Amino acid sequence: MTATAIQAAETASRPMDRSQALARLKFGDVVFRLMTQFSALLVLVLLLGVAVSLLIGSWPAFSTFGLDFFISDAWSPPKEHFGAAAAIYGTLVTSAIAMLIGVPVGVGVAVFLTELCPLSLRRPIGIAIELLAGIPSIIYGIWGVYYFKPVMQGYVQPFLIHTLGAIPGLGLLFAGPPLGYGVLTAGLVLAIMILPFVTAISRDVFETVPPVLKEAAYGVGSTTFEVVGAIVIPYTRVGVIGGVMLALGRALGETMAVTFVIGNATKISTSILAQGTTISAMIANQFADADPGLFTSSLLALGFILFIITFIVLAAARLMLARLEVKAGR
Amino acid sequence: MNEAVSPNPVQSPLHEPAGGAVAEKIAVRGLNFFYGQTRALKDVTLSLRTGKVTSFIGPSGCGKSTLLRVLNRMYDLYPGQHAEGEVLLDGENILAPGLDLNLLRARVGMVFQKPTPFPMSIYDNIAFGIRLYEKVAKSELDGRVESALRRSALWTEVKDKLNASGLSLSGGQQQRLCIARTVAISPEVILFDEPCSALDPIATAKIEELIDELTDDYTIAIVTHSMQQAARVSQFTAFMYLGEMIEFDETNKVFTSPRDKRTQDYITGRFG
Repeated sequence: MTATAIQAAETASRPMDRSQALARLKFGDVVFRLMTQFSALLVLVLLLGVAVSLLIGSWPAFSTFGLDFFISDAWSPPKEHFGAAAAIYGTLVTSAIAMLIGVPVGVGVAVFLTELCPLSLRRPIGIAIELLAGIPSIIYGIWGVYYFKPVMQGYVQPFLIHTLGAIPGLGLLFAGPPLGYGVLTAGLVLAIMILPFVTAISRDVFETVPPVLKEAAYGVGSTTFEVVGAIVIPYTRVGVIGGVMLALGRALGETMAVTFVIGNATKISTSILAQGTTISAMIANQFADADPGLFTSSLLALGFILFIITFIVLAAARLMLARLEVKAGR
Repeated sequence: MNEAVSPNPVQSPLHEPAGGAVAEKIAVRGLNFFYGQTRALKDVTLSLRTGKVTSFIGPSGCGKSTLLRVLNRMYDLYPGQHAEGEVLLDGENILAPGLDLNLLRARVGMVFQKPTPFPMSIYDNIAFGIRLYEKVAKSELDGRVESALRRSALWTEVKDKLNASGLSLSGGQQQRLCIARTVAISPEVILFDEPCSALDPIATAKIEELIDELTDDYTIAIVTHSMQQAARVSQFTAFMYLGEMIEFDETNKVFTSPRDKRTQDYITGRFG
């Protein structure tokens, strides 16, 4: 290298290095962006793929039965006549029972943990709730069959039949013999299963409320109940609703525990003590024995319907949140 | 200035202001406060005069906010904090067990360092506190909300958007909304915890004006880091240092002829 070249290299060295380093960084940036973009797109492709393959699989059932598939509760493999109404009904009713019981209790536990519980009990109860979330659903199923069902059959259902069942109108919901297995039993097991979700998420978002806001509410003389009702829950409603929707998603799709305790009867009855079925329970029970053709296609159609129901629930939740945010002005 | 200052004066060193005796609204006697094992207030004694503004000044961590939070027992929300001694509100010890805290806090209102509008409309922010204690008709409630907002000089700015969220207001407006909310439930004492530290000078001037207008009707205690503010708004000033009440007197006396060396050092800006 000549002296002039060295000199030239020296004068240029610093800006050169910097631009090279920048180019390297830029390359890394591009690769990183492409990778994340690919991952994001992959999710969309998978989602679409699942939906499309379900739709293709279920097309024979939809084209054979048409709208009748949604409103008929007949499910007869020998006659090759299938209808989804009983399964849809069972899915919605068990989930509704689960939400009706699980959400208030779950939020209540979260309020207790964040606002009222002595410090020394907070961790043990919190950990117990999280452990509850970790129990596999098959365990809930076994527990439901061996311990919960006899209790329902022996005490809870006879009690309901004799008290609420005697009321005209409302009594229709609690009619029939105490079988133990049934829609109510499944709903209650589901309630226990979603409880930790609601509690864990509510507790986490309740802890985001600025202490000074709560102090301000106590400062005008509110009680804990009023502070929770007027400040904590409105302030965190977006998070709480998110937790509730997650729980609802789980309740709608839960399979094993429900299959164990719901009784698996393909019929719609007004009584929540009666046996019933859900979409996921039907698929789990029958898919292995299903003949290829219309039977299998009908089961796939059930899966597609569950997919759509879950989608609608999530979309409705989004819409509700968006409207709430507009109303709150932030 | 040559008299010795006892670290825990038993008798109030106050000279009554001209114009006769002023009744004391809150009397603090030998107050000790603990965060767990840490003693944050040491034998504090002072009295808040009815219808006067008393400011608490002192360097950060001296216990002035702690003292304020004892006066409506806000510390009770947190486990591990406790107070010993006596705090008499109209002669009744508010540290006594079994006291109705909600009632106490309705009588002793508080405005915080940061504006704390509730997540609801401007109207409901004011109406919330009123509804807690009184069953009032809608028309009367409207009147109460309006008068509280007028009282806090916010009415003309918000009268056309009472249904907007309290969070949509500017910082200074939010703080006045919080004052309106406190005033609306007609407390006897209002505690201000550095009410202007998050506000710009114009908003600060408005709040100070407001505090000035609220005296006579309310007994006011204000914690402030600004000595100018203490001098402007208060008739009495308490200087605290490391959890002790160093000096408590009429504001102009504290600022013009402090009796304690530490007070003098602080107000002349030598530390703090």
